[in-house]
Amino acid sequence: MDVWWQCEIPYPYVPQDVLAAADSVRGSLPNKWCDPKVAADLYEEVLDEFLLCDDEGMNVLAIEHHAGINSLMAANPMFVGILARQTRKVRILSLGTLVSLREDPVRIAEEYATADVMSRGRLEIGFVKSGGTEMASNHTNPVGNLERYWEAIDLIRKTLSSHDGPFSWEGKYFTHRHVNIWPRPWQQPHPRLWSATGDPYTAAEVGRRGMVHVLVLRGPDGTKRAYQAHRRARAEAGLPKVTTDNFAYAAMVYVGETEEEGRAGGSKLLWFLNTSLKSSPQLSKFLPGMTPPEFAPQIYRTAPRPTAAAPDMVNAEKGVAPASQNAAKLMSLTTEEAMQQGILFCGTPDSTYRQIMEFYDKVGGFGHLAMIGRSGFMTHEESVKGIKLFAREVAPRLREVKAMLTE
Amino acid sequence: MADDAPASADRLNVRDIALEVVRRGAGQPILALHGMQPIDPAARFLNLLGRHAEITAPSHPGFGDSPRPADFDTVYDLVHLYLDLLESLPRQKVTLLGFSFGGWIAAEIAASCCHRVERLILVDPFGIKLSDRETPDITDVFNTHPDTVRDREWHDPARCAPDFNAWEDAALVRYARGRDALCLYGWKDYMYNPQLKRWLGRIAVPTLVLWGASDRIVTPDYGRTYAGLIPGARFGLIEAAGHHPEIEQPEAFADRVVSFIV
Repeated sequence: MDVWWQCEIPYPYVPQDVLAAADSVRGSLPNKWCDPKVAADLYEEVLDEFLLCDDEGMNVLAIEHHAGINSLMAANPMFVGILARQTRKVRILSLGTLVSLREDPVRIAEEYATADVMSRGRLEIGFVKSGGTEMASNHTNPVGNLERYWEAIDLIRKTLSSHDGPFSWEGKYFTHRHVNIWPRPWQQPHPRLWSATGDPYTAAEVGRRGMVHVLVLRGPDGTKRAYQAHRRARAEAGLPKVTTDNFAYAAMVYVGETEEEGRAGGSKLLWFLNTSLKSSPQLSKFLPGMTPPEFAPQIYRTAPRPTAAAPDMVNAEKGVAPASQNAAKLMSLTTEEAMQQGILFCGTPDSTYRQIMEFYDKVGGFGHLAMIGRSGFMTHEESVKGIKLFAREVAPRLREVKAMLTE
Repeated sequence: MADDAPASADRLNVRDIALEVVRRGAGQPILALHGMQPIDPAARFLNLLGRHAEITAPSHPGFGDSPRPADFDTVYDLVHLYLDLLESLPRQKVTLLGFSFGGWIAAEIAASCCHRVERLILVDPFGIKLSDRETPDITDVFNTHPDTVRDREWHDPARCAPDFNAWEDAALVRYARGRDALCLYGWKDYMYNPQLKRWLGRIAVPTLVLWGASDRIVTPDYGRTYAGLIPGARFGLIEAAGHHPEIEQPEAFADRVVSFIV
């Protein structure tokens, strides 16, 4: 199993009364509450932590979110460029610039090819569907997002792997009549591709395309179901079986020297869920295109109708549990609940390793652990300590878990 | 037709699309193009107008129960669909009545081709850009808090705004489907065609522009300027009404329309 460390660089230093009064901490919270001097310190600390991961042999992962306290990584390719130059050994996963929000996928391919060459072939490219606040703050039509997502990925893949002069692309969402990037990527035909999704429809497409499939904070049931949808889609398409190396899970992880220290660190990571998910209704549940119309009864009613027979979102095999519903469940979690649900792994190195492997067994195995190692008010010193301890005491054991075929 | 006559909903085929349609009344033909949601068959204004006019009110593709082909996703498609429909109607000419988002479509149709249009009536229409680049003319119903949208949409929200808790499931699903379709067609540029303003001068039929005096989704001032860009157009305010004067003041609305067409 490979281990990927990440910090989304949240900005927790907004006064609590401001956060409480705001109807959204993402998308619309005025940036006067973001002090650039504090932001600069955060960037410096977290980039140093990424470089520490390089020293300790742990891969690094950079995400992208926009316009909120949850993350200051709005410009993912800039981080990827810095990491490409300043790390020397480990692999770098961009997960990823929000492709369906950007006007020109060719430019994205150019940025990624540059980072792949700079890092001499250490780049991995991930794709994430955007959330509602991101749609609004990037002025992107939320209806048709998924179609645009796949077309952007198709164009990026073709751009990275075409080497015989300009080609033309006249798609539904993107047109570009003269595509020919320099440099071409170091890795041929292109760096490995990843996609993060929990819904079964997208999971099936990720499977057919053979991308590494990442589940983020979904817990064992949702994760297992998505991995199964991925495998089933491949089988139905007559494609070869894949190993656990095609599957990844992202959770919050912190280890301490004692159980108490590990749990104290772990509980600090929950800030991400408890504080940074709050979104106004027009930027989440009411935004068109984010949820199939069949779920409208649950979304529009403020008082339940006992006779209502709307689809069960949690257990709907063919339905798509809305991200807003998932977020609502996550916002109120306690440390113990988060641990029970496989969203948080924390404690001593031994107990954390056990928790990860119990989860591994429940979901049928995965080849990559993407660990959210720092969030909220965790200090740089605490983060450094957690990285070193995990890299030295847990990661070597996880690396012994070899990729294998699973059903 | 009596006020309590049952609504008749059937289908109207335009090329390969079977549109859901509400038909009402007898008299002068009116093609009604709905706004942000399809016209409610129980709406009182339908029966009031139906005493003088034969109303055909289709749901746009993607709204209500009208199917939307996968490659049908722009206002350009809507305009051509209704140009086709106008050609296929039994009467030589009809009055085109467009509300809000449907007013934008009606203005596009009339600017494009008037030979099947007897008269044009626009009710709080979207469709053009008037203010400077930092001043939006039309409230963003997708990015604005729903309580704010509600306040701007109605003169008397407590009396007229929808109470979703009281709605049937099927009605809520229809509503959400309509929101998706509206967003698809109108997200960017938000509810206007930057070229339309230039071509409104091509409209060569008698035109009435009606506006809810309390509309703050798009204000009466926008409406006055809009009417001024259409040669000979008359502008009328309906008091004690917001963005939907046909719902909040059905009698006053019907009176204005009837006196214009009869």
